[in-house]
Amino acid sequence: MKPPLRASNWLGKASAGLVMGFLLALGAAGLLRTLVAGGATPFSTVGQFSMWMMAPVWALTVSLCFFFRTGPRAWVWLTLANGLVWGLVILLGGPVR
Amino acid sequence: MKMPADVVKMYKEIHGWVGIISGLALFIAFYAGAITMFEGPVQQWASAPSQLAPAPSLQRTPELLTKVMDAHPEAAASYEVNLVIDAHHPARLVWKSGDPEEIEHGGGTTHYASLRPDGSLQVETSGPSPVAQFIDDLHRNIGLPFDHEITMPIMGAVSMLYVIALVSGLIVLLPSLVKDLFALRFGKNVKRMWLDLHNLLGVFSLPFHIVMALTALVFAFHDQLYMAQGVAFDSGGQRPRMVAAGPSPEPLAPAEMVAKLREEAPYFEPYTLSYAAMPGGRSVVRATGGDPDYPIRTPLYGVVTADPVNGKILSVDYMPGRQDGWSEAVTSFFALHYGSFGGGPIRWAYFLLGLSGAFIFYTGNLLWVESRRKRERKAGAVEQTRATRILAALTVGVPLGCIAGIALTLSAAKPLGHAATTELHSAIYYAVFLMFTAWALVRGAARSGPELSCAAAFALLTIPAASLLATSDWPGSLSLWLVDGTAVALAVLLVRSAGGAKRRARSGPRDSVWAAKGASAIGESV
Repeated sequence: MKPPLRASNWLGKASAGLVMGFLLALGAAGLLRTLVAGGATPFSTVGQFSMWMMAPVWALTVSLCFFFRTGPRAWVWLTLANGLVWGLVILLGGPVR
Repeated sequence: MKMPADVVKMYKEIHGWVGIISGLALFIAFYAGAITMFEGPVQQWASAPSQLAPAPSLQRTPELLTKVMDAHPEAAASYEVNLVIDAHHPARLVWKSGDPEEIEHGGGTTHYASLRPDGSLQVETSGPSPVAQFIDDLHRNIGLPFDHEITMPIMGAVSMLYVIALVSGLIVLLPSLVKDLFALRFGKNVKRMWLDLHNLLGVFSLPFHIVMALTALVFAFHDQLYMAQGVAFDSGGQRPRMVAAGPSPEPLAPAEMVAKLREEAPYFEPYTLSYAAMPGGRSVVRATGGDPDYPIRTPLYGVVTADPVNGKILSVDYMPGRQDGWSEAVTSFFALHYGSFGGGPIRWAYFLLGLSGAFIFYTGNLLWVESRRKRERKAGAVEQTRATRILAALTVGVPLGCIAGIALTLSAAKPLGHAATTELHSAIYYAVFLMFTAWALVRGAARSGPELSCAAAFALLTIPAASLLATSDWPGSLSLWLVDGTAVALAVLLVRSAGGAKRRARSGPRDSVWAAKGASAIGESV
């Protein structure tokens, strides 16, 4: 039987969501720019759209990171998710012109 | 929908805490934001009759331009030509002076220019009332009187808490959604009633709240988000440098500019031409305007960038109907926040959604206080803790202080007339706001509730009073009386809620923070 989820260990989970969620959102924005335009300039319309898309990715990660049982677990899983997204960005050549 | 019990319990706790931290700030943001839906009418309501000579025709505007540039050469860096003259735009030519950083965020001194009947130049620094902009600033700064640099991260943090509150609230409600949604249990159990109202309003305005939370997060952090993308992907993310092109040639006369634009974009209706000298000597003109068939990027208009010398359109990225899909999507995010699509009905809907949002945060605070009270009774304590008492007092003082502060600073616009400044309006608002909050803290929630509700209702009634007392040269169209009518409606609601608070203070449970101390001991606790 797994221990029940608690709100009392929020700090570790929330910090993972804030930091790793931000990097995840940044990676997702990079992925979008790579896939769509092969590297868009920052203030192009695709660049603006990808900036906007960072907000829901970041905020949802922070909101849902409490589903992880502990802070360390949240950090590990979100780091893995970041590795996946950023790995794809680098593999596809990245949005850097 | 099934949801494990531990998940619901955990998110209920999270919902309570993020709610109580952000609730009062969100109340101010939503109440002031609801009013900005009618920023135009409010500004017109508050604006003294213009002292400017009637604006010269568009054909005569080059003469006005020459005279202004001779007398005030600093205006050449950036100025606006209004194509439509009305109560919001009484002057043909407008420019700003002051600190560039301040000007970017709406500060600085605005100069309004016109030509007197004898052809001489007239420049005034008092234009349309600044009070509508002040209310807009309150909305964007969640009621904090600090600089943009300080309030933006706080506003962003509140927005993040707001997203968490929405997600957690939804998770908590999902298991009992079908059972509870339409159940409005008005009865003995006051907490049940507030909870049912909180849930009903929350679920039905959820799309609106998701839009507001996510767009506000971007508005707060867009600089940082762009910078992060710049650092990660664009080797520093610097904007491309402009190449110096020598002194810029004479721009087209405004009337010719309008004709050129009409040629290139027949459906675009320009209101204003903004001229700006870019770094490096190049200059551009931004035509702001609308196209009735498309949503727009700002609260009031779309933008076309053109070359001031030959009228060629340089960028249609923000032009209604001419944007690419990405830009159209981004414009729709702005429009969804500003309610700038669908005209009047959408503005009224946003106004009501904004007020109901403010009410949701208020009921959320009430619920927090109520559920703390229960826990303390289980533990055997009869006296409420200091923290609960303070929070209950703030839940009364802050919202009512905000309502009364906005009402009085708005009604002051009429007696102040041309003497009104942003600083004066700000001083009036914060004096009232702080007085209400202090009164609530000193007198306690139970006694100050009915008192401050009545005081706030009185403050709202000064708005129609100011209209009735204003001299006849003030604008007074039927649509402006809607401002007064709305104030009266809100005042009636407040008086009714004052009655409810009074009854509860007298005959509600005695151990509650809402019970008047020293009241006669009738009405045993339930």
